[in-house]
Amino acid sequence: MSDMSDNRRVVVTGLGLVCALGENTEQCWSAAVNGVTGIREVKSVNTDGCYANVGAEVLAASKDLSDEDYDRSSLLCIKAAGEALADSGYEITEENSDRIGVIVGNCVGGAASIDKYFTDELKNGGGNKADILKMPAAAIANNVAMHFGLNGTTANIVNACAAGTISLSYAADLIRAGKADAFVAGGSDSFSSLAFAGFHALHALDENSCSPFNRSSGITLGEGAGVLIIESYEHAKARGAKIYCEVLGSGVSSDAHHITAPDPEGKGQMLAIKRAIANSGLTPDDIDYINAHGTGTAKNDEAEFLSLHTLFDGNDHLSVSSTKSMTGHCLGAAGSIEAVLTVKAVCGNTVPPTIGYTDENLETLKEKAGAIDFVPNTKREKNINYAASNSFAFGGNNASIVFAKEPREIPDRTNKDRIFITGIGELLGNPKCEIISDDYKEHGIKMAFYRKLDRFSQLQLISGMRALADAGITVSEENEKDIGIVVGTADGPMTEIVGFQKNVIENGTANGSAFSFPNTVYNAAGGYFSIFAGIKGYNVTNANSIQAGLQSLCYAADVIRNGDEKIMVASGTDENTDVTEYLYGKLGLFGGMLGEGSVSVILENENSADERGAKKYAELAGWATAHKSVEFGTLKGSESALKTAMEEACAAAGVSVKDIDLVCGFANGNKTVDEIEKNVCAELFGSVPVVQLKRDIGESRAAASAKQAAYAAKMIAENEYRCALAASFGVGGQYSAVVLKKAE
Amino acid sequence: MANQEICEKIKGMLVENLRIPEDELEFDSELFGDDIGLDSIDSIEIIAGIDSLFGVQMTGAARENFRTIETLAKYVEEHQGE
Repeated sequence: MSDMSDNRRVVVTGLGLVCALGENTEQCWSAAVNGVTGIREVKSVNTDGCYANVGAEVLAASKDLSDEDYDRSSLLCIKAAGEALADSGYEITEENSDRIGVIVGNCVGGAASIDKYFTDELKNGGGNKADILKMPAAAIANNVAMHFGLNGTTANIVNACAAGTISLSYAADLIRAGKADAFVAGGSDSFSSLAFAGFHALHALDENSCSPFNRSSGITLGEGAGVLIIESYEHAKARGAKIYCEVLGSGVSSDAHHITAPDPEGKGQMLAIKRAIANSGLTPDDIDYINAHGTGTAKNDEAEFLSLHTLFDGNDHLSVSSTKSMTGHCLGAAGSIEAVLTVKAVCGNTVPPTIGYTDENLETLKEKAGAIDFVPNTKREKNINYAASNSFAFGGNNASIVFAKEPREIPDRTNKDRIFITGIGELLGNPKCEIISDDYKEHGIKMAFYRKLDRFSQLQLISGMRALADAGITVSEENEKDIGIVVGTADGPMTEIVGFQKNVIENGTANGSAFSFPNTVYNAAGGYFSIFAGIKGYNVTNANSIQAGLQSLCYAADVIRNGDEKIMVASGTDENTDVTEYLYGKLGLFGGMLGEGSVSVILENENSADERGAKKYAELAGWATAHKSVEFGTLKGSESALKTAMEEACAAAGVSVKDIDLVCGFANGNKTVDEIEKNVCAELFGSVPVVQLKRDIGESRAAASAKQAAYAAKMIAENEYRCALAASFGVGGQYSAVVLKKAE
Repeated sequence: MANQEICEKIKGMLVENLRIPEDELEFDSELFGDDIGLDSIDSIEIIAGIDSLFGVQMTGAARENFRTIETLAKYVEEHQGE
């Protein structure tokens, strides 16, 4: 292996874990290998009238996790990130802080704070304004970055139960692409009445502790955070870091089947696992251990059982276990918690068990297990060279990632083709969009499907379908796996979340709405879109404030460059309803300026575009993200990151800032926002015109930031402009910038 | 013919809770057919809605009772006050 190139090696150099099993990695690992459960009677949610009342809560109170006044999801993440950073010995300095970022997976966002705010509002005479800033998932990565003084790229991957695996995958991909030295990467979710009432309404909770692949009839919810320091090998080596193991390839896919249930044939799951193994340069025979998704619902377990038996047929040394039997299902944190346990398994040559088997269950297991060792009740000591961790989610999102004990050269699939914008779909309204039935019927969307969607999902579906139509793309069996989706949003389905939560507060946890709950996850919009369009490739939703719509272009371009997909739909979507107007109004932020909508941009590599004879609006020549972390909800003091994002996007495009002849700006009438844009643009671009789109479309947040890129692309296609730049901001100091060139 | 008042209430609940456009919903529309397209999650919602409107438990009720607004209303009439 000595001739192996080191520059694509990515390693794990730190671990942090907090869940019902303990408050650090060693405590949790020791409990897990010894089959100790963290599942107890639920304390933090009122379960009166519910048919189930067990869960896997973290015993520590929020104030004991960290000093800040943040939502519990952020505090859990800070707790685990603190352990991981200390474990890694990574010294954060002013010089290196912009090379280490934060990518957090999350499902319910600030659900505990939403519950608190509206309980106060409905029952205690008024909510506390400070709780409003704790509501969106977008706050989490920023809060972690602030706490530790990290200024690299941030993202909040909000793909429900697959989020904690996708976050690790994205972190490793960005490091291999040279965009960071390291990431604090993981996932976090707090216990919430939202999730408890939702899964209760779906009858998806087990009455007792779950025992996946066994007798279980549902999940047991948990909470916690798992964080890994994912680092480039060369950087780790240079600083003399301890290395736990290697991060090999990963795979992300979409079922395009159903919003809550997995494809019973497991095709999407198998695609994600196959991709992870192939991207690691391995075959299924190489895998020694899989930490399964293993939730305990009949539908998941049957589909995953089938997937594993199909893919690993012939592998005589595969162990599979579900640690959810002890940690509970920690939703957006699950994948990362399980990744920490998987890394420990690889390093310690020990497989943690699935617990809950009786003697009778063991007999049943013998009959159905085949050659797979399901590690019932007691740990298995064996040599583990390669281990994978699976996560599957609502919306049909699947992810799998492979860890290895020893270095291994993995296939370099980097695609250096130029990337073009070949389609644009828009739906914008200021202050609100008028949607008529022709808007969805035009794309063959039936009312029976459409009515299931909350407003956020409706906006996404229509703009996504318009973009595909504009690009002339028909999704078929031929190309369905070559197309992916990135949805960016500031506030996600906040209206549906608040509606669901208010009902639970007024009518009790036992009376949650089964109709509404599937839409309360941020990735439902991307899920519905993939289902309707039949898109089966990469599928991710990133909640990262206003700039998320533009960051989705950056993310999508990275996925194409990484060789994962040929075509990506990059969207920015945010709704404006009575709920968003109320919340922004209370905050006094962007008052009276909110708009809404969704803008989807098709990104496509040159080869694919030329093969199809696609029209090209513009080339996406350069893209960059930067972050100078300031308190969530503010912007002041972060302008250096705007400058960095703009300069790096230009550099990546191979142009100088002097070559830019049009800037699509993000000014929205707020004094601080407008001044930052004005000052930085004047410094970099002199007298080049800065277009102020939000005067017309309002502050439609992620939709507006995607629109800026779409607008720039159209201006280039239709006018004499040769090189345009679009940039946007997030409330917390996140910035993205893209440089578009005339397509030629 | 089922009780009009009960039918109206159920219709209102379906429009409100399941986002079915009011103008596409008749008392005899096939709820689980192609047009309206309800599914198993919707039926959980209908059960909860009927319970909260009329105090009638439909958990475990036979599938044909869920066919249309009229069949639901008929079931409610027959089981109210039980």
